[in-house]
Amino acid sequence: MDLGVATSEPLTREFLAVVIVGFGNELVPLTSNDGVEPCPKALVPVANRPMIDYVLSWIEQSGVKDVLLICPSIHRPMISHHVHSGLSTLHIDVQTYDESPESNTGTCTLLRHFANRISEDFIVLPCDFIPPPSLSLSTILNKYRTENVSDGSIATTCWFATQQPDKNLLVEDWGSIPPPVPMVWDDSTGTLLQIETAEDLDHNSDEMELRMSLLSQYPRTKLSNKYQDSHVYVCRRSILDLLQEKKHFDSFREEFIPWLCKIQYQRRKREKYGPILNPITNVLTQDVSLKHSTLRTNPKVTTKGVLHQSSDADASSPFDPESTTDSSSLRVGIVLHSTKTGYATRVNNIHSLLDMNRRMLAEATYTLPTDPQSRSLIDPKAQISSDSIIGAFTQVSERTTIKKSVVGKHCTIGKLARVTGCVLLDHCVIEDGAKVDGCILGKNTKVGAKAELTRCVTQAGYEVGPAESLKNEKLDISDWTAAPDESDEDSGEEDEDSEEDEDDSDEDDDEIE
Amino acid sequence: MSSSREGAGGADGSADGPKSRGLRIFSHFGLPKTPGHQIKGDIHPAIIKLGLQFSEFKICGANARCIATLTAFKTVIQDYVTPPHNTLSRHLMTHLSPQITHLVNARPMSVTMGNAIRQLKLEISDSDIDLPEQDAKDELCQKIDNYIRDRIIIADEVIEDLAVKKIKEGDVVLTYARSSLVEKILLRAHSQNKHFSVIVIDSRPLLEGKTLLHSLTSTIPPIPCTYALLPALPSLITDADVVLLGAHSLHANGSVYSRAGTAMVAMLAKEHSVPVMLCCETYKFSETVMLDGFGKNELAPVKFSPGAPKSNSNLEVLNPLYDSTPASCITAVVTEVGLIPPTSISSIPLALGRTTL
Repeated sequence: MDLGVATSEPLTREFLAVVIVGFGNELVPLTSNDGVEPCPKALVPVANRPMIDYVLSWIEQSGVKDVLLICPSIHRPMISHHVHSGLSTLHIDVQTYDESPESNTGTCTLLRHFANRISEDFIVLPCDFIPPPSLSLSTILNKYRTENVSDGSIATTCWFATQQPDKNLLVEDWGSIPPPVPMVWDDSTGTLLQIETAEDLDHNSDEMELRMSLLSQYPRTKLSNKYQDSHVYVCRRSILDLLQEKKHFDSFREEFIPWLCKIQYQRRKREKYGPILNPITNVLTQDVSLKHSTLRTNPKVTTKGVLHQSSDADASSPFDPESTTDSSSLRVGIVLHSTKTGYATRVNNIHSLLDMNRRMLAEATYTLPTDPQSRSLIDPKAQISSDSIIGAFTQVSERTTIKKSVVGKHCTIGKLARVTGCVLLDHCVIEDGAKVDGCILGKNTKVGAKAELTRCVTQAGYEVGPAESLKNEKLDISDWTAAPDESDEDSGEEDEDSEEDEDDSDEDDDEIE
Repeated sequence: MSSSREGAGGADGSADGPKSRGLRIFSHFGLPKTPGHQIKGDIHPAIIKLGLQFSEFKICGANARCIATLTAFKTVIQDYVTPPHNTLSRHLMTHLSPQITHLVNARPMSVTMGNAIRQLKLEISDSDIDLPEQDAKDELCQKIDNYIRDRIIIADEVIEDLAVKKIKEGDVVLTYARSSLVEKILLRAHSQNKHFSVIVIDSRPLLEGKTLLHSLTSTIPPIPCTYALLPALPSLITDADVVLLGAHSLHANGSVYSRAGTAMVAMLAKEHSVPVMLCCETYKFSETVMLDGFGKNELAPVKFSPGAPKSNSNLEVLNPLYDSTPASCITAVVTEVGLIPPTSISSIPLALGRTTL
């Protein structure tokens, strides 16, 4: 540390990006342990790049420099090694919380716990959001910056259009896709108005209730269930104070945000929580300037049908300190992304993981490597279609067909094998004559000679015996060790993974790159 | 206002070319910038936010922009740390320059912002070297507050006092678009229990008259208003008793630079012998000479013209935001130093005992 030179860093950080990394229970068995080592969800690759890289490079492109990464304590060594070994210019602070895979700690609880590390406006991001190149985090940040000053908006969310996949393509054993959530928004101002929660559905599953106060403020709204929440939220700092008040909320996406949307139009909530969201601080606001602005209507405060002007006789006292709460709208903004300009998704279940890999392949063009050493690993008689991605140091033997697949690093694929529409993670071994179709194979999976796998997902280190035929299954190691000659249906029996991981937090990670 | 493309554009089949080329005729105004342009260098978050407010037209109007700029600069100055081997009076201005450039990139600077920044530079260079840093910063912030208070807020109040005397009971006041100062005058007259009615003339693309209408009719009891677009002006001008206009800036030869359409209102009013009163604070005065509205102007971004033709047609929409009103059309200028004819702004400094405006 050089005491003589003062750094020229700006004293105020504008945003802190908070990346929340979970266990990935929906991606089991890919996120189950590889022997005794954990497989963090954040490092599961999409098109041979760990999914957390997409989020981190998205953050870097928008100019935000500081990241607070919250992950389970078991995954800390691997994730910490990965994020600090790259060339990014981000300052990433990795913090942990103690949790076991069964208990799902919601984002609200985590934010309450780490609130003292967040001193400015923050962005909540998941580790599994894959943004398209056409959607930039700056767009969402700019909308927040504009509306926070001019309108008093408290948060900005991002929702992307989803397409319900074909029923035929769904594999039941892989788990179900989350159901679509109906949501009401106002298009002209980009305001999120109401989200149907599971509680609302329990309460009244036939009808959706909209408050009159919502409709009188926003008469032209739109309703859709084709959008999914990306879990990217740009929030004002005072929202953390609000979270401290509401200790019973656990899930940010399912409980807190729908509740937050209600403040903008429900008078009682606004009166109760307005002062918490707009605390009296020394921070200079642009209120005087906004009063002089020619395109801005000073909002009215409506009380039971009688209209009052929020600041009467504006002419004589432009400095009106109490009108801050009245004129700020406390609304939640929304940025909608349609699929026309690029596909966005959250890879939080197996179907979307496979789907996203396929979409990335549509843009990929495979060419044989020019480096002679890598070139020698790929046999000239192997047929590799151009929409595949093959990782470094993978060996492909002769007369093998690889179509529309993502193959990781250091894999070995034998002769006469057929790999179609698959995702193979690093170090997989596929022996001669095997046929793998539409599968996701975890790290170190071994597929025996002449075996046939159709639409299966395997845990890391799984071994498929020779000439076995498996279809539509999730394969756990317990299946394999319990009955070595045939595959079992009882996957939960011998749980060698979850009990042992409590005591091995200093395992060295060697193969995650 | 729209013009057809010159010659060659129609012939080439590519749809990309016409969008970015723009028209040669007004190309010196600069193309309207898209918001969210790249941030070059270390810009303070308050300035980033302000740039977005400007480019999205959330803060619009000469007074509003000047107050917003000065308020943001107060935040920047408070967060500023003098680097070692440097003094605040010399280095602070170089620190502020990139911030100013960022704001200019968002939207071209207004005359009011320019005058305020020039005054700020003067204050910074006059700052005492021996003062401790925090005291120097506090003093600068105090000077900024004084500038806003004296030359905008209190000036507005004095102008209101002078102008409301010109509105008599039962008068019909005509105004154009929305000037923050004219709005204050009308609200003050109303609060003095004068009975008068207002004709609000408005024009596209900004339709600022609508917000003025909203504000005037929200008083209790509401002011009786008539709202019309600019083409309807000839039929309404005969009803008006006095015309109140606002300005963006006032130039040395007496011409007024104001919202596009003001010139038309002023000229028509003169033809019908209706007195035109321009309400303008002294800090809006500019030493330059302006002969027409084409030498310097600004185009409104495309989002304000919803009826704009599709991008592959041969028609392009241009919306200049300002125009120039000749001094002959203005009866009097109401400033905080009194009512003056528009050509005599150069006598103001002498009257106030100052050397510059």
